[in-house]
Amino acid sequence: MGTESVQPIRSAKYFRPQQEWKEIIAIYLYLAGMGAGSFIIGILVHWMGAELNPLSIPFIELFGVRLDLAKFPILWGPIIVSIGAPFLIFDLGIKWRFMYACLNPRTSWVARGFIILSIFIVLGLLILAKSLFPFKWLYPESGLWLIPEGIAFAFAFGTALYTGILLKATKSVPLWNTHLLPLLFLASALSTGSMSIILSTLGTGLLSYNSEGMKVLMIGEQICVVLEGIVLYLFLSRRYRASEQGKDSVRLLMTGKLRYVFWQGIILLGFVFPIVLEWISKYYHNSALLFIAGLSLLTGGFFLRLGVLHAGIKDQIPMQRLMEIQYDMKRVH
Amino acid sequence: MDQKVLVVDQQKCTGCRQCELVCSVYHTGASNPSRSRVRVVKWEQVGIYLPMTCNHCEKAFCVEVCPTKACHREPEKENRVVIDRNLCIGCRTCIIACPFGQPFFDAQERVTVKCDYCDGDPQCVAFCNVKAISFVDADRVQMAKKREAANKLADLLKQARG
Repeated sequence: MGTESVQPIRSAKYFRPQQEWKEIIAIYLYLAGMGAGSFIIGILVHWMGAELNPLSIPFIELFGVRLDLAKFPILWGPIIVSIGAPFLIFDLGIKWRFMYACLNPRTSWVARGFIILSIFIVLGLLILAKSLFPFKWLYPESGLWLIPEGIAFAFAFGTALYTGILLKATKSVPLWNTHLLPLLFLASALSTGSMSIILSTLGTGLLSYNSEGMKVLMIGEQICVVLEGIVLYLFLSRRYRASEQGKDSVRLLMTGKLRYVFWQGIILLGFVFPIVLEWISKYYHNSALLFIAGLSLLTGGFFLRLGVLHAGIKDQIPMQRLMEIQYDMKRVH
Repeated sequence: MDQKVLVVDQQKCTGCRQCELVCSVYHTGASNPSRSRVRVVKWEQVGIYLPMTCNHCEKAFCVEVCPTKACHREPEKENRVVIDRNLCIGCRTCIIACPFGQPFFDAQERVTVKCDYCDGDPQCVAFCNVKAISFVDADRVQMAKKREAANKLADLLKQARG
């Protein structure tokens, strides 16, 4: 590795975004957000007592116990989060030392995140297990279950928000240093989460395409997508005006090297295709189109995290600015 | 006040990268500039070179974001900010948080490393032939910095006016 060569010309060609957090962290942010979002929507469906059709789900036996899969398609979110969490560990230099972060909960948002995710995963899996195993001693109908469900619901919101707070807490990247980022990731978590619940309930036959529950879910999902679009617009426009590096990050995303990720990945797959395809599927009553719209939306959610991560350009230090001025002077003379 | 800091005079630096070499030899035993705690940032077209080292900031972002307290301040040793390699998990949050492009990820040790003033005797200072890096008292450097900044501003204004 040679010396660091810095281009003093402020051009989209020479932008130097951060190189530390890449795809692995994007996968982690995405799975944590989507899993938490799907749990939020799933538990709402569970609380509202939507009319489900569990007969369509095949019976599975585990160690002689027949599992009750009636609620599985709406409560699987914690499994996705528990698949996503190890990606943060994979990205560490020394993986086994992640325990050190767990043992220091008050130090930083990385450490707090371990705690938030751990509580959500444990409670979420407990609620999922309660719905799966038909043991009477669990008192599945007891109102006391509302307490862990409520706590898990709150921690699901915490998990979805945390994915944005983690980036915001680094401070020196102007694109990330805004309250709108946790909000954007929360909106994205809810849109991808609601779409994943639509796909899982439709795929398992728990909700039919024309059922009332499905209609409510689809309206909710469309509202989330529109809200996400509004927050994305606010996020980008505010960051563009925030500082020079904020402007550079937005330029990098919209017109620079990441333009394909932004326009094709985030805008087309995440917003345009799902809205158009859902509208067509509604018009022609075609559930296959809804599956394509769903997969498109879920892919768009991943590209949103990837784009935001890769477009993070650090604040410029005053010395670097001085160098630029000197460089311009030397070029003029 | 016995706090000392590293001061870089960019006008003197020739970009020889001797500092990177001695730093890596001192800390790792290997003559490998990519494992150095100091990096020379260069503007090759106009021959401007700037050795970048840790500033051991008063309000250090790297300390704030470290999830394991591996990155911490040692008030008893020149008030320096150091990383305990036995506690570092290699999450690289400190690298993203630092606006000065410091700490560095050591790909061989899989942890983040940074300048520790070589325990009070910075090798980059000792081996810099043109004395572009110096290790001076922090209260002295404030005046020197202000004078230097004022001189630079005066030069720039002169150049701008032609």
